[in-house]
Order: sequence, then structure tokens, then C-alpha cells
Amino acid sequence: MARTGCAITGIGRTTFTRRSGRTTLAMAAEACRAAVADAGLTMPDVDGMIAFQAGDSVGPLSVSRAVGIPELAWNIDVLGGGNVVANIVATAGAAIDAGLCRAVLVYRSLNGRSGYRFGTSTSRQQVGGEMQFDAPHGYLVPPQWIAMWARRHQHEYGSTCDDLGQIAITQRTHATANEHAINRSPLSLDEYRAGRWINEPFRIYDCAYEIDGAVAILVVGPELAESCAVAPAWLIGSADSQSGDGWTQWDDPTSMYSRHAAPRLWNRTGLSAAEIDVACMYDCFTYTVMATIEDFGFCAKGGVGEYFSSGRATYGGDVVVNPHGGLLSEGYIHGLNHYFEAALQLQGRAGERQVPDARRALVTAGAGPYGGATVLSADRP
Amino acid sequence: MDGAVGAVAAVAAPPSSEPPQPLPDLDTEGFWQATARGELALCRCHDCLLWVQPPLERCPSCAGPTSFQPVSGIGRVFSFIVVRHPAVSGFEHELPMVVAIVELEEQVGLRLTSRIVGPLEEVEIGSRVVAELVALPGGDFHAPVFRPT
Ligand SMILES: [Zn+2]
Repeated sequence: MARTGCAITGIGRTTFTRRSGRTTLAMAAEACRAAVADAGLTMPDVDGMIAFQAGDSVGPLSVSRAVGIPELAWNIDVLGGGNVVANIVATAGAAIDAGLCRAVLVYRSLNGRSGYRFGTSTSRQQVGGEMQFDAPHGYLVPPQWIAMWARRHQHEYGSTCDDLGQIAITQRTHATANEHAINRSPLSLDEYRAGRWINEPFRIYDCAYEIDGAVAILVVGPELAESCAVAPAWLIGSADSQSGDGWTQWDDPTSMYSRHAAPRLWNRTGLSAAEIDVACMYDCFTYTVMATIEDFGFCAKGGVGEYFSSGRATYGGDVVVNPHGGLLSEGYIHGLNHYFEAALQLQGRAGERQVPDARRALVTAGAGPYGGATVLSADRP
Repeated sequence: MDGAVGAVAAVAAPPSSEPPQPLPDLDTEGFWQATARGELALCRCHDCLLWVQPPLERCPSCAGPTSFQPVSGIGRVFSFIVVRHPAVSGFEHELPMVVAIVELEEQVGLRLTSRIVGPLEEVEIGSRVVAELVALPGGDFHAPVFRPT
């Protein structure tokens, strides 16, 4: 079973900005303090930390010192991107279940706009490993890889750029009610179409908005969860799938990691897409939402544009997809902000953008051959 | 402290106007040695004849020994993008450019991602293309690009 007895309780974050003027350490410490305070706990209650980074963040030992935790019973610092988030949340729960620790801060801190930017590559002069074959053609960054995959989907299923635009538009509409989002102006289809090309078929509005900031979530065991100041968002299932086939050799770019992870997740939880109220779908790019929405079974292949344009992915529809606006509009905290939002919704604390009677949330993390997903529930399993 | 816990230092090199260069290793150097000779050659298993890209010392299917064998360079466009934003150094003056995943005729799923040269409007998924080798600015390497035929 990929079910732990654990829950997310406290959640914390910094403001999201274009230029923080702060270190990743300072921001991580602020987010972690906020998460622990939100749970109604104190730092001595925390004995575990796990984080992920791409050489652009700060490790648990530095952060534990910054928040006044003298030592950690358990910590891991993972080198990786959005594809590892579901796995590290699950691993935090598994570590607690195994008795290795009792309360784990999971955090991500990055100066994603003013510092190292994922969408560019200006410093890698020599590229080794499998990407050395792509390097001479400048094919080194995610907005290229995933646009390449989107084109194949358009070829096989007749999906269009306007379909991708419907995802961006719906999420932007959601972000208008989120004061924490970096992009809150409504987006029309005409504005979407007028957006500048990045890599055809992607325009600027198909790409996550890179920002500076930090998010932390606190994962605790069942006894501690019931005694926290906020309602637990229970981790009721998790599944991962990571493939070595990479961005060129992966056989079918009309599906992503989720073609394996989704059946694994639904099998483990006994649930299906129909039983999900809130779906925080990893949206480094619009096409990532398109492919994973299909793989998780929310709608048929090729139907995502209609699914969004007809209102099935918003309030009053089948499921609310990215009520915070997602990485496209709230900002790119590398997917950990999706866990923040899912917990907030299940705790009934989302204010103006609260999804009515939100009981179960799906959070996905990753794109292409690499990713995972979590189901969170307001009800103790 | 970060080094002790497995993190890596943030990269802070200045922007470059030369394209990235490959960094061959013992498993991949045969590819670049072939392109330097004017030949496109890919890794192939001696025992089961599977083509293996990216290259490996041993076949992932049967663990047989591999070596670099010439390929025709003929393939079809599996997917493509038109790069318009200068996200990667060295291509600022080349944009817009088409980068495609090309599936070679030797084996289903045997693919290279490369630039397409020639009239951009002729590129479609399924287009037949043929490889040619070009010198990569800023170093000693030659790389395959593909031209519609
Ligand atoms: Zn073999």
C-alpha cells in the first residue's frame, strides 16, 4: 500500500515576487516557521526535513539551523525538479510510518526569476551524459522538450493551440481570486493568441511563470495530526513513475509518466477521477496539464480543450483544476505550491476561491517521462 | 555544509554566445569520432543487432557488446518545434530555427533530436529527411543536421 497514516497539517509560504532580494535560506526559513506555527506546533516538535533542488536552493541542515532546530533525526536533500515532489512527500510519510521521525518539514525555496532560471541555459558550455546529443542543437530546456511533445499530440489527436489556451485562460480566471498569485489579470483567447511565440506550438502563456519564493508543508503522523491547530489533509495514496527513456526516445509523447502512475494510483486508492474535487495538476506548461488530465482519466484523448472551454474544469463542473491559478498564474514554486493549495482547500481555508465541500484532492508533480501524484483527503482513512 | 549533504553549487557562469559543446565519455566518443570522419554512426549490439541511442557499453536488451556502425541518415520527422525565443546561448542569430525529433529508418524508435536545415515551411511531421554533418562553432565537433528531401 502506498497509504501512510500521515497528513499534511501546517502550511507556510513567503510572498511570491519577481525579485526577492533575499537568500533561498532566508525564504526557506520563513516558510518553514510559518508552516510550524500554522500547525500550532513549535520547532522542537519537528525532527525531520526533506527538500529538493537543482543546485538553486539550500539544504535541510542550513535551514534547520536557521529556524532553531538543534539537530534532525532524519533528513534528505534530493537533487531533482518537479518530478520528485510527489515522491518526497510520500517519502516523508513513509519515514514517519517507519518510526524514523515524527514531524517532517517539506520545503522548496528558489529565486526562480532573479536567480537560476529553468527555462534558459546560458552557462552550460559543455554537456555530458545523454544530453550531449541535444546540446549542439540548443535543445536543452523544458519549454522546448514539452512543446515538442505537444506538437505530436496535435498531430495524433487534432488538439490545437486554442485548446492549450483554454487551460491557460481557465487557470488565469482562477488566479484572479488569489491575492498570492503573481498574474491576476484575466486572459482572453485573443490575448492568448497574440502572445509571443516561445517555441511553436508554445506561446508565452503556455509557460509557467518563474518567480522567487518558498513554500513549506508539515507532514506528521496520525496522533500529532489530530492534535494540530488545523485540520489534517490526509495522505491517502501516492504513485510515481520515472523512465530513463528521456525526452527523445520516449515512445509516445501524447502521454506522460502519468500513463503508468495514474493506474497505479487509482489501483492503490480504489478511487477514480470522478471522485476528485480539486485537481492541482502540475503545469510547468499547458500541455503538461493536457496530457496528464487525459492520463488520469478526467477526459478522453483529444478532449481537453472542450473539457476546459465547456466549464468542466472549474467551479460548478466536474473538478476544479488549479484553483490557485497553478504554476502558470500563481507562480512556479516547482510544484510544492500545489500541495499548499490542496491542503488549504481540504481544510476549507481557501476563502474566495474555496471549492465547495472539497473532500479529496489530486496533486500531480512532474512532466514527460518523470513524475508522480498524491491523493489527499479531508477524511481520515 | 551543503557539500556535505550532497547538494551542488549554483552555477553562475557568464552568458556565452557560442553553442554548448558535447562532452564525450568512453561510451559516447565513438559517435563524435565518426562525425569527425564525416560519418554518421550509431551504437549497435553485436549479438542481437539492436540500435542503442544514447550509446551504452553493453546492449540494454541482451547485454551483448556494442560498437558504432554507420547508418543511412535517412529518417522521418517524428515531431518538431520552431524555436523563436533565445533560451540557449549560441543560437541568437539563428532564430527562428526548427528542431526536430527524427526517427531513423533503421529501427522503429531510433531517434535523434537535431536541427532541420533548408526551407522551414517544408517541415511537417512525417517529412522525409536526410542527415548531413556540419561543424559546430566554438569547438572541434561535427554534428548531424537534417535536410528535407
Ligand atoms: Zn543486444
